Amino acid sequence: MTRRVLFEADEVSRTISRLAHEIVEKNGGTKDLTLLGIRTRGAHLVRRIAAKIEGITGAAPPVGDIDVSAYRDDRSRSAELSKKAATEVPVSVDDKTVVVVDDVIYTGRTIRAALDLISHLGNPKRILVAILVDRGERELPIRADIVGKNVQVANSERVNVRLRESDGIDQITVKSWR
Amino acid sequence: MRKRDLVSIADLTDREIEEIFQLADAMVDLNPIASHAKSCAGKIMATLFYEPSTRTRLSFESAMQRLGGSAISCPDMRSSSAAKGESIADTARVVSSYADVLVIRHYWDGAVQAMAEFADVPVVNAGDGSHEHPTQTLCDLYTLKKEKGNLKGLTVVICGDLKHGRTVHSLVYALARFGVHVVTLAANGMELPEYVIEKLQNEHHYSPLPLVSRDLQAVVEQPDAIYLTPNRPHQLALFTRVDEELQDDLSKMAPGLKFDAFYVTRKQKERLREPVAEGEASYPRIGDRFLKEKRFKDAVVMHPLPRVDELSPAVDKDRRGIYFKQAAYGVPVRMALLSFLMNDSASSHPAKKYLTVYRGPEGAISACANANCVTRTEPTSTDLRFEVLPPGSSETLNLRCFYCDHRFKVQLVGHVRSKRYCPYDRGLKEIVDGWLREGDLIVFDTIKQAEELGYEPYRTGPQRNLMDEAELRAAVKRISESIGRETEDRDSLVIVGIRTKGAFLARRIARELEKQWQRRFETREIEMYGSGGQPEMVLPEDPKLPAPDLHDREVILVDDVIHTGRTVRAALSLIFQSARPRSVRLAVLIDRGLRELPVKPDYVGKHIPSADRERVRVKLREVEQNERDKVVVYSIINADDSNQRSALSSNSEADS
Repeated sequence: MTRRVLFEADEVSRTISRLAHEIVEKNGGTKDLTLLGIRTRGAHLVRRIAAKIEGITGAAPPVGDIDVSAYRDDRSRSAELSKKAATEVPVSVDDKTVVVVDDVIYTGRTIRAALDLISHLGNPKRILVAILVDRGERELPIRADIVGKNVQVANSERVNVRLRESDGIDQITVKSWR
Repeated sequence: MRKRDLVSIADLTDREIEEIFQLADAMVDLNPIASHAKSCAGKIMATLFYEPSTRTRLSFESAMQRLGGSAISCPDMRSSSAAKGESIADTARVVSSYADVLVIRHYWDGAVQAMAEFADVPVVNAGDGSHEHPTQTLCDLYTLKKEKGNLKGLTVVICGDLKHGRTVHSLVYALARFGVHVVTLAANGMELPEYVIEKLQNEHHYSPLPLVSRDLQAVVEQPDAIYLTPNRPHQLALFTRVDEELQDDLSKMAPGLKFDAFYVTRKQKERLREPVAEGEASYPRIGDRFLKEKRFKDAVVMHPLPRVDELSPAVDKDRRGIYFKQAAYGVPVRMALLSFLMNDSASSHPAKKYLTVYRGPEGAISACANANCVTRTEPTSTDLRFEVLPPGSSETLNLRCFYCDHRFKVQLVGHVRSKRYCPYDRGLKEIVDGWLREGDLIVFDTIKQAEELGYEPYRTGPQRNLMDEAELRAAVKRISESIGRETEDRDSLVIVGIRTKGAFLARRIARELEKQWQRRFETREIEMYGSGGQPEMVLPEDPKLPAPDLHDREVILVDDVIHTGRTVRAALSLIFQSARPRSVRLAVLIDRGLRELPVKPDYVGKHIPSADRERVRVKLREVEQNERDKVVVYSIINADDSNQRSALSSNSEADS
């Protein structure tokens, strides 16, 4: 197994800043904005993005965490996981612009599951997807609206986003088994 | 307490009809000392007959007297007040101060409805033009129930002049409501009017079975005669060209059909505008041959009377001829009706439900399209009103006259405040509904009429063509080729269309791929209900086919237009509820942008960046009548935008 580093901490930080700017720009400010992070790394990212947005605009948008494991199509593990405990959305999403934040987008299945979950939370005006790394090769007709980095890797490789909060370091790496 | 009228059979609920029948059961022996015999004591019924009648009027008067009331009568209104030019509104007002209930027959369709609105007392329709005759229907239903025990599941053949016979119109609505199969056997040129069939289909979800052969003799000779099935929507025009396949289908089911009753009617000579010569020979008649036919041994014969020659006196002596009994039931049924209408039992009733009523502003449409409608001759007694019907498949606004039920179509609609007009289209439905709610709708028969009233066309027209037939075909081909190139495993491919247009496009794509690869493909359909999208997977029509299994399949999801992405999200949700496909790719004919969800099509026929106030509509020949394939864009006219002379400003800017 080999691991190579794609982006180091300062690049990750700049990318998160850019995501924050683009979200504000796409929404035309922070009005009616709600950010939802997909557990677990999306939940760390969403807080950093919210902090950046507060830095830019002076207003911090409401933040929530969603756990899509019960909504995923590969439900093998869902029985073990508590279904609702991990989803915490403190505000109503009705008529809001909801930005779903995750670390990596690949097949689109996680985002599809997130859309299902959000449709059970309420009826947002609009849903945007903000992603730190898009590795392409979608299996579903799902797009990321705001993308930090586009990377091209082989199907056998794995993109890992490591964040200070859970991994002690900000770093984006690629693992391959060759 | 609101007064109750009986103008149409629709004014009574099923339960109320049952209730009237129960009352009639108690009255059928005409016992002069029963409790009901005084139920209308001291009450006066006035019968106003603008058209001659013997049975209906006498049976009403008899019924009233048997209830302890009395009757005053004007059997020839036409030569009295009508001849002096009194409006029917005035007549109704005046006479309702003389009596406690009015029984009216009139030669104009809808006249009784008009008079009921001006009368202060209950009004009973004893026949209005070719429109309805609800008390006859009550008698007919009652007779049938008495003879056969239960109405549900019976098969009744209705023969003769179905076009002008008002008894027939009221009867078919009621039969459909009570679950009776209706088979129609019309004389040539005297078929059930289209508006009656449409009302049956729209309100009762029922289509009568017309006999293809109009000749009853042929039915007798060919026990396996041909019928159209009730679940196959059809138009009258279809009857003359039944293709072989349909004939096969139908003859298979025909032997199981058992006839319980024949309802025979006479030719309504007085209502024929021009003599129908060719109808004479094939006019359905019941006679000796009918009596000898085993197939009809349990079929009773009914007739509203009077008869001419369509019902042979030979039937009189047969146990199946029950028309005199039917006439005799006229008195107890009318007794039951009168005591129902004049006593408290009738008080709580929902008014006739017209959901969206259109009253044109001055000068718009001056009368109903039906030449015999009361609105044509009595403008002062009527207040022109139309129900706006759900749009059908045609590009017209469908209206139904409040008085005579006649349906007609208008092609031009206008917005009153902005004084603009445009051709109607289903794509404009929501906007036009908005205009209707705000009282801003006006409809026109012709452009000339619109312009005479000072209306101008919407500057850019209501629609622009975006794609014609050839472009659409090329786009489908291009999409299919891309799908072909990018499919990894042809065996796993399944094409799922979102109904209705996506489903037709899915089939077209499947056909292209079949041409390309010389093999068959599976197509499936998804049905979406409501805007929130509660989708449902449609099972294969052939139950022998397995249920759709999308597990580990390469799914191509097809829709005609993608806009917000909400439909696609709901469709994905449905697919993932049942299976985990290997992949889902989305093919759309038109991407009009303005997405609200992170959904992205993989194959797009054409990108049309469109404004919020526009609607894109794909027209496919499978769906549209007499239309070629095309894609058009409509402008949405916002009635709230008061500063605009041209409500299509966004569109005009785009064009200029």
